[in-house]
Amino acid sequence: MSDKLSRRDFLKLAGVGAASTAVLTGCGPASRSVKREPYMQMPEYTYNGLSTYYATTCRECAAGCGLVVRTSQGRAIKTEGNANNPLNLGKTCARGQATLHGLYNPDRVTDPIKRTRGNASGDIVTWENATQIVADALKNNKPEEIAFLMGMAPDHLFDLVADLANSTGINAPVRFGALNMFESRATLSKAAENLFGEAGLPFFDVGGAQVVFSFGANFLETWLSPVSYTRGFAGLREGQTKKRGTFVQFESRMSSTAGKADEWMPLRPGTEALVALAIGRLASELRGGSMPRAFADVDPLEAASKSGIKLETLEHLAEMFANSTGALAIPGGTALGQSNGLAVAEAVLALNAIADNFGKPGGVFFSALAPNQTEYQRSASVKEMQEFVQQMADGKFKVLFVHGLNPIFELPASLDFKNALKNVEQVISFATFPDETALESDYVFPDHHGLESWGYQRVATGSAQPVLSGAQPVVSPFYNTRATADVLIAAAQLASGKFAEALPFQDEVEFLQSKISPLMSEADGFFSAADIDTFAAYFQQYGGWWKLSDGRAVPNSADVLNRSLSSAEAEFAGEGEFFFVPFVSPTLAEAGANKPWLQELPDPTTTVMWNTWVEINPVTAEELGLKDDDVVTITSEAGVLEVPVYRYPAIRPDTIAIPFGQGHTAYGRYATALDENGKIIKRGVNPTDLLGQHFNEAGDLAFAGMKVNIKKTGKKQLLSRLESIMGVYGVGLGEEK
Amino acid sequence: MIKPEEIKMSTDESGKWGMVIDQDICTGCQACVAACAMENNISFVGEADSGYGRSMHWIRIERFWEGEYPEVKMTPNQPMMCQQCGSATCEPVCPAFATIHSQAEQLNLQVYNRCIGTRYCANNCPYQVRSFNWRDYERPEPLPNQFNPDVTVRRRGVMEKCTFCIQRIHKAQDKAKSEGREVLDGEFTTACAQACPASAITFGRVDDPESLVSQLAHRGHGVKHLEELGTLPNVTYFKGG
Amino acid sequence: MAGYNNNAVHKKVESAHPKAESHHHDEEHFREKHLMLDPLPRGQMNDMVMESMTTTSWKFWAVFGLLSVIVAVCLFYVWGYMISEGLGVTGKNRPSYWGLFLVNTVFWIGISHAGTFISAILRVFKAEFRRPFTRAAELMTTFGLVQAGFSVFMHLGRVWLFYWLLPYPNQRMLWPNLHSPLSWDLLAITTYLLSSTMYLFLPLIPDLAMARDKSTGWRKTFYKTLALGFRGTEGEWTHLRNAMNIFAFAIIPVMFSVHTIVSWDFAAATRPGWNSTIFGPYFVVGALHSGMGAVVMVLAVVRGTMKNMKYFIRPEHFDAIGKLMLIISMAWAYFFFNDYMVQWYGGDKWTKQLLHFHEAGPMGWMWFAMLIANIAIPWAVLWNPKWRSTPWIVFVVGLIINFGMYLERYIIVPVSLSINRMPFTWRLYYPRVEVLLGIGTLAFFIWLYMAASRLIPLIPVWEVEEGQMAHELKKFGRETVVSVSELE
Repeated sequence: MSDKLSRRDFLKLAGVGAASTAVLTGCGPASRSVKREPYMQMPEYTYNGLSTYYATTCRECAAGCGLVVRTSQGRAIKTEGNANNPLNLGKTCARGQATLHGLYNPDRVTDPIKRTRGNASGDIVTWENATQIVADALKNNKPEEIAFLMGMAPDHLFDLVADLANSTGINAPVRFGALNMFESRATLSKAAENLFGEAGLPFFDVGGAQVVFSFGANFLETWLSPVSYTRGFAGLREGQTKKRGTFVQFESRMSSTAGKADEWMPLRPGTEALVALAIGRLASELRGGSMPRAFADVDPLEAASKSGIKLETLEHLAEMFANSTGALAIPGGTALGQSNGLAVAEAVLALNAIADNFGKPGGVFFSALAPNQTEYQRSASVKEMQEFVQQMADGKFKVLFVHGLNPIFELPASLDFKNALKNVEQVISFATFPDETALESDYVFPDHHGLESWGYQRVATGSAQPVLSGAQPVVSPFYNTRATADVLIAAAQLASGKFAEALPFQDEVEFLQSKISPLMSEADGFFSAADIDTFAAYFQQYGGWWKLSDGRAVPNSADVLNRSLSSAEAEFAGEGEFFFVPFVSPTLAEAGANKPWLQELPDPTTTVMWNTWVEINPVTAEELGLKDDDVVTITSEAGVLEVPVYRYPAIRPDTIAIPFGQGHTAYGRYATALDENGKIIKRGVNPTDLLGQHFNEAGDLAFAGMKVNIKKTGKKQLLSRLESIMGVYGVGLGEEK
Repeated sequence: MIKPEEIKMSTDESGKWGMVIDQDICTGCQACVAACAMENNISFVGEADSGYGRSMHWIRIERFWEGEYPEVKMTPNQPMMCQQCGSATCEPVCPAFATIHSQAEQLNLQVYNRCIGTRYCANNCPYQVRSFNWRDYERPEPLPNQFNPDVTVRRRGVMEKCTFCIQRIHKAQDKAKSEGREVLDGEFTTACAQACPASAITFGRVDDPESLVSQLAHRGHGVKHLEELGTLPNVTYFKGG
Repeated sequence: MAGYNNNAVHKKVESAHPKAESHHHDEEHFREKHLMLDPLPRGQMNDMVMESMTTTSWKFWAVFGLLSVIVAVCLFYVWGYMISEGLGVTGKNRPSYWGLFLVNTVFWIGISHAGTFISAILRVFKAEFRRPFTRAAELMTTFGLVQAGFSVFMHLGRVWLFYWLLPYPNQRMLWPNLHSPLSWDLLAITTYLLSSTMYLFLPLIPDLAMARDKSTGWRKTFYKTLALGFRGTEGEWTHLRNAMNIFAFAIIPVMFSVHTIVSWDFAAATRPGWNSTIFGPYFVVGALHSGMGAVVMVLAVVRGTMKNMKYFIRPEHFDAIGKLMLIISMAWAYFFFNDYMVQWYGGDKWTKQLLHFHEAGPMGWMWFAMLIANIAIPWAVLWNPKWRSTPWIVFVVGLIINFGMYLERYIIVPVSLSINRMPFTWRLYYPRVEVLLGIGTLAFFIWLYMAASRLIPLIPVWEVEEGQMAHELKKFGRETVVSVSELE
């Protein structure tokens, strides 16, 4: 190898290497009726001691990373990233690695069951009965009384339900996920619409930038597409072939993303827009010329005093931003989840106009639209979910189908989904795991685990190329589960009439092929084929289909700086003393809590495992007389939580933070805990219990817009940490202050 | 059969396999930890034991704090795993020859079925990267279906540690041998390096000056931890910045 | 012969001699003070020893029964539980991979040192005061080593494979690793156990022969078997003396080596605080410190609870051992200071951190308690001849020293393990079932001792008689002096 080899070159090389060594098989599980066989009669594509590799798509979050799963004797052994997939280029996050603990989770729903709501046990029904029940539900109710609630991933099942809904008049399926709430996608899209005249999810080319200012965007954790953004971050920091890029994070609590920043700006929550505009004004002054209208009204001195960032610091940041050849500003996360979230998004996006980076390497783009991606597939904001829940509560829906999300856990408790569910006559869940919502359903008709399933998933953002990640079963279904698509198709046939016409397919695979066949005629594909069988085989073998060309659109930035932007501060709900920052646990996220190895992964910032904590600045803790592991009561206008304290050195003294991911009352043995009497109790707490119903202008929940109170309870609960409290904090070494 | 005189302790050789870890781009995301656990059939131990210093992680990501609010900084994330020392302090102290030096691969081997659990090696490891099976940690059915058939499952009373995914090394070597060639640089890598979304971990032959890992290792300001003890570690860290 | 006590002896002594003379007064003073100058007829002494073995009160059986229960539960049941559950039921963790079991091992090996020290070194140097309690001390050696062995095996993660530590021929040509200090340890402890058991047995033979001649029933068979047909001929005595001499000299280096090697388990490691060249002698002296403390405790208990023992074990013995304890305490203080000073002055940051942790960490009280128990209290009390001749006072001092030495080992093993070169892993150790197992070994030690006190003469009568034959009082002018003749 040559001396000039860079890391990027190596990545490409490694990608080719992995692709050529791991023989991706396209034919094995193509047989449609996959079933479990004893080892005596192994399928012919399985050999003793030889591994087979299948490309599929990770279903742990909605990003849609490609996976290559190693299987041996019909068992899935290990997931790796699919090096061909342009989104993740062979990489995975921790959740993608632990997906096997979902597949082989001891607490999966093994059979279709009928239950009395809230009752953990249920009666097993046959799949014939189950299909009949679904068919009856479709046929015997008016279309407007039938609702589908689905997970965040824009996948084939959503398309199938959308087809069904469109041609039969059923309510359009609604997509939601807790990550959607914490990412504030609607706000980003709305801000883009206001500034660029076109809605869409922006894409930030972190890897090509030289200076990155991130306002609350936790893009190294769960935000939008963490694997792809992490790769971008590595590109930013690469210092061999170019100058090492600088990264500044503005947020009140140091997230693990901020932990990687060169400078962390703990601004006062709610002042993000003000600070962004002030930096814009100072940078424009440095650049000379006339002051853009966008920044004209802001007073940097006021911004400094309100945000708690010194004026000199603001000037230094502005200089850094103005003088860089590749400056990039990213709005996201908690900064958008406030009452002024839309203003923050606009102000931060407008900063990019100074750097004039739109459509340029290291700049802002519109995400490449995946094949067949339309506005229809946009997931719902919490505001829309509020309306949905209201309709449920009003008894508008007779039947509710739930697939791919756990609304009782993922929606803020103040929406009271659980109570609204009581006004729905029939709730049918397709949950793979016995989650809280499945527990409150009349029927659970379990879908396969993602690794046992067919499908595809649109890649909404993160890749320069338009990507449709393909999924195929890598193992035979382990339990008596059935693909929800197959259940719906069969039920539609049973229901006959318009339902049968809407889904005229033999099975899921035929439906999939009907959906991907238009891609055969698309130009510039990664592969193409003349007939659908070959095309489908390639689709399986490579784990999807993508274009070779850049599909990102350039935002129209002509008018950005000429608009007047609001520098208003956020308003905070509640009477409390502390700003409250809920954040998504990077290792657990919304659905990881039932995977034991994810529970055992230390949190990147606190190294806590298996539980929830509240982060409090040590100075504040001392004022309140709190030590580590002291349980405190946190009260907001919407709820109360009891949670142990972690004295976190990198959080504003007026702010506290709680991770989201734990607090399950169901969802299997690893997501819950047992008390002394062996009764199932919550493991950790769910911070969404504290969230009231306050929204920003784009309809996203102002989840970071609450103020809360803290009270000591006198109880202790030992948090399991990987770190040494002695070695890291000097506690108990005789040097404690 | 191995003759007794062939069993040697660590030598001063330069090593064969090595790693370079770029702490500047490590985001601490734990993907390597999860990948390692999945690849190597590592037990999870539950809340109580993991909080008592008994977690079985073969690789852990260390981070410290510098300064105080608001000038507080998180130190660069530091993944710690077995450094595969050229002169390993764990090796001579095992009375049962359960941890020995591989002459062929220049790695510290842990022979699980020879280990009787004196835990001397773990005490003597300056990097504290060895994990002991304090119990038979329960992995209820059907979780064991996921086990990697290339990696032994350990029972209670046995020490374990990072192996540099020796099963992958052997697999690649067998394949290369059957094809009559040498193992190519980048042909395979360890589970942690393969998963790392930031590509902060690079694995390869450190005795091959042409390999990527060698070139990265000789880039300049690399650090080998506790090198002053004479352990000849094979992992080079770049703090960056 | 009926009950015996010191007063009775003195009365007899008085009646045997004309009274009210200053010469007699001197002599009486000497006799009262020194066992060697206070001879009784041999038959009478033999009877006294036999009686001490066979007279057993209900209190003995109550204590013995209680100990049996403790041994059964704390030692065997808990150990079985630990084997089946794994070492997770103990309090060990990363980084304290070693815990109470190795503390106990070092402690028991330390206890075992006093036996050899007293019976071999004092024998070689012909310290006459040793005579009545060499046996009691040797028993401690053997029984202490048994507990040390138990503790070492408890420590193993897979104890059922302990034989892999032994160099036995096998098909795979696997051999234990002789580079490992643990292998040295095993060899050293085994050697020590075997040699000290033999060294216990040799001087026992004449007493067993005596017991054989004086007993009936199963005891007769028992002693007959063990006495190996010893009749007391000139040839037999010569052989016995030669064998004992050889053993006495040979076992001294074994004794020094065994604790030195135990110390190498720590000193040979690359850990801050452990990697110290002075650990060898420091451990040997520490072992003697706790061992002497244990000997006086045993002697005080034997004297206080067993019949006729006040004749054999007198304040003069506590006085003599008390002096030794004082000297050893000083030696220990010297080594402690030496170790601390050099480590601290060396300036290695991890070592300094560890030393600071010893003093100011959460276990800091141990460090101070150790210094008080091992140095301050022995020095304050044992200077005083009156105090160190008072059995209960010396008993309490011995107890305190053992407590202090236990803390010393605790500080060296788990407390030092808490701190290493990877601050991210520092963690405290909280013992769990180890405590029960530790209590179990202590109970088993006492149990063995109690059982032995019913079966073998705790007083080496022949040695006492030999000493008494060699001692006599001579008068030079107004001075009465003790004269000792060379017997061998």
